[in-house]
Amino acid sequence: MSQHESKPNSSERRRFLKTSALAAGGALYGGLVGTNAAAQVHANKMTDMQHGDKLPAPLGNPKSGRPAGYRDDYDGFSRFKPSRGNDPNSEFYLGKLVPGFRDVGAGPAPFVTPDLEKLPWKMVGGVKEFHLVPMAVEREVLPGYKLNVYGYNGSMPGPTIEVNQGDRIRIVVTNELPEDTSAHWHGFELPIQYDGASELTQNLIKPGKSFVYEFDIHEEGTFFYHSHIPMQEAFGSVGFMIVHPQKVFDPPVDRDLGLIFQNFFIEPSQSIADSWRMDWNWQTINGRSGPYTTPLVVKHGERVRIRIMNFSPMQHHPIHIHGHTFWITGHEGARIPHSAWVPRNTELVGIAQATDFEFIANNPGDWMFHCHMVHHMMNHMTRQVGPRVRPDQSVDAYLANLDQSPGVKLLNPDPGFKTPGYPQEMKGMEMKPDFMKRIWNRREVQGMRAMWPMSVMGLMTVLRVLPDDLYQIVMESDQPVEKGAVFAEIVRRFGNPSDYKSAPMMMHDMS
Amino acid sequence: MSAELGKALQAGLYPNPVLSYEAEQIGVDGPSGTSTPGEFQGGVVEQRFVTGGKLRLSREKYLRRARVSENLAMAQQFRVCNDVRIHFYKTLAASDILSIRREMVKTAEDSAVTAQESYNVGQSNRPQVRRANVVLQRARLDVLAAENAYNQAFRTLSTLVGVPLCMGMVEGALESTCPVMSFEEAYGRLLAESPQLAAARAKLAVDQATVARENVQWVPDIVVRGGAGYNFEAEETTAVAGVAFDVPLFDRNQGTVRQAQADYARQRQEIERVELELRNRLAMIYQQYLTGMQHAQEYAEVILPELKAAYRELLESYKERRVDWPDVLMAQHDYFDARLTQVDNLLHARTQEVLIYGYLLHDGLMAAPDITPPGHIDSVPKPR
Repeated sequence: MSQHESKPNSSERRRFLKTSALAAGGALYGGLVGTNAAAQVHANKMTDMQHGDKLPAPLGNPKSGRPAGYRDDYDGFSRFKPSRGNDPNSEFYLGKLVPGFRDVGAGPAPFVTPDLEKLPWKMVGGVKEFHLVPMAVEREVLPGYKLNVYGYNGSMPGPTIEVNQGDRIRIVVTNELPEDTSAHWHGFELPIQYDGASELTQNLIKPGKSFVYEFDIHEEGTFFYHSHIPMQEAFGSVGFMIVHPQKVFDPPVDRDLGLIFQNFFIEPSQSIADSWRMDWNWQTINGRSGPYTTPLVVKHGERVRIRIMNFSPMQHHPIHIHGHTFWITGHEGARIPHSAWVPRNTELVGIAQATDFEFIANNPGDWMFHCHMVHHMMNHMTRQVGPRVRPDQSVDAYLANLDQSPGVKLLNPDPGFKTPGYPQEMKGMEMKPDFMKRIWNRREVQGMRAMWPMSVMGLMTVLRVLPDDLYQIVMESDQPVEKGAVFAEIVRRFGNPSDYKSAPMMMHDMS
Repeated sequence: MSAELGKALQAGLYPNPVLSYEAEQIGVDGPSGTSTPGEFQGGVVEQRFVTGGKLRLSREKYLRRARVSENLAMAQQFRVCNDVRIHFYKTLAASDILSIRREMVKTAEDSAVTAQESYNVGQSNRPQVRRANVVLQRARLDVLAAENAYNQAFRTLSTLVGVPLCMGMVEGALESTCPVMSFEEAYGRLLAESPQLAAARAKLAVDQATVARENVQWVPDIVVRGGAGYNFEAEETTAVAGVAFDVPLFDRNQGTVRQAQADYARQRQEIERVELELRNRLAMIYQQYLTGMQHAQEYAEVILPELKAAYRELLESYKERRVDWPDVLMAQHDYFDARLTQVDNLLHARTQEVLIYGYLLHDGLMAAPDITPPGHIDSVPKPR
């Protein structure tokens, strides 16, 4: 079993991914943001995404085919096309126990939390020693939208603590907050004095002071740590704590991904989250909001585990994945025995709960992956009134001269208003050029449809299932990829190209 | 002023000689035993010789009164000019208010349309739409009232200028460009330059001259008369001559001298009273001036920029779909409403500033005051 040290330098990691992609057989996942200069230059130049009714030019090499030497069919379930299997009682029904490509002997798949780092450690006297620093953090949840919250080691959510079952760990918590805090190791069966429940089990850690937590890990699965001061919890103080089992979970997965769902209340023109609010208007996944959330990019046919943890203060989240049926294989308490696994399309993940989803990525495409609460599929829901619903008005006319109002027609000329209830579709948010550049300057989104950022908002991200050659182009190369090209190629290979139309319009600020 | 100069002229004129024909003892017997036409028939010239410098003093007195009139005329000029200035600013403010009210109607119209839009998506109900309509109608009435106020201000200005003006717009700035004066500076300026005070001080010189004039009133004028005629009794030409003057045995003009002295004493107090009265009025006007200036400055430097920034930020937030449009409209209304208040602040400050710089004088259409307060003596038809 390997010991994982985090690699905080993303450019080093990116280089490593590129140079070792073939050797690693795609088993490593580059979950960090691609920010290399070549990609940025390319994104700035991509203006030719309008193809009318034609598909963009073919991309990749369809003849590269599927990985050789792997079993495809499991009692009627195919790992390469949507299928359920022949018998619900089969252990391979819906891909339940269909293994990934990864060899069990290689140990657990690397745990990846997009947009979050891992907490480094060093071995001291046979104990894995971590240094965790609660502190005030500025988190950029969308390009240009910085949020003041609490977190750990400069990050919100905090960096992931990753250990192995059987480890003895020491976590030195040094409080850099301006107020007392404590650290609670959620779900661990540890000696009471290290439980971190403020005052019940320990004195609070004063600002500038440290407290050492040390205990043995006999559990395995998905856990997390957080401050045990309630308002600090609501202010973002949480992080993943993953324990890899001594005996690798069966069947082995190729991808092990972690997402922390949170929400906050942020007044307009404000950057400080209001932890006292009973309503929540800003949604984040691993500290980012859609469309700035980083898509989960996997290879066609891989077995994928996604661990979702809900640390919203008071909102449960029904998590829905499009195009796939997944198995619930664990909660934060424990791994679930195979016999109790449940297949689902949507799973309600309650507050302070974690749920592990596993599935075979047998359906290529860019799949919505989101909380299904309507009000969580966007940030700052606003009423559809005012200039944005008036055909001949724009806010710019108001901004042009603040001392004079451009005025309004007393009857809205939009004929839609003859229909009661109109409009229900959210209208007219402008995405600024800088914003769009930051969205597109990531390898994980290359080749997606041009309009995708308009639909991925709030507690939303994307599961990208890509054939091997397309995966390599997107994730393991710096090759320019035209907007919509990867998606069109998937349609070409797996869908019905004659029915497909590329994005109908070019957003003026997407180039 | 001209009247006083006329009085001065009149007062200094020397008395005219008196020519008379005299016939004495008509019917007296002559040497022939018959009655004669009289003992004496002839012409007589009589001349009053004024003594004690009465005429010079009287003329001096009225010349000093002309100086008082000069100051009062200047005060009246300030009254008229200050009125014109104040009403110019009132008209300017009315114009500004009218344009802001017209903007606020647009806000109300937008609110009414917004209420209708909200109604269409179930987010407002019928009473809310009606109330938005009522707010709109009230805003429209405010515009009509502002138009009426502007017309009235313009007509008043036209009246004060004294020239019929065609209805139109006035151009200028309500913001003050004069340096802010301290109370002591303003009061010191009044003491040094106020036409009212100058008039009161000139009046003291008049009263001083009056005392001097009355002090010589008792000095008797000498009336000399002489003439020639024919004496029918002596049957020869004869002459007549006479001298007359008052003997100031009982009336030495004591009462009038005392009255003039009392007026002089009273005028010395009157100057002090005017000083105090000006200080008293300045105290009230200055506090209004200071309050207006403080409000205007704070609105200009903080309140309006802050409200404008809030409005802009909400517009930008709306553009990014972060706030509801009614919140933006509320901010717009608050900003426009504060601009209305600022017009009031500026007008208030300007009005008081004109009064302070214009020696607290206003009401130019009222008749100018006479130089003689009640109780003072005057002389007619021969001013004294």
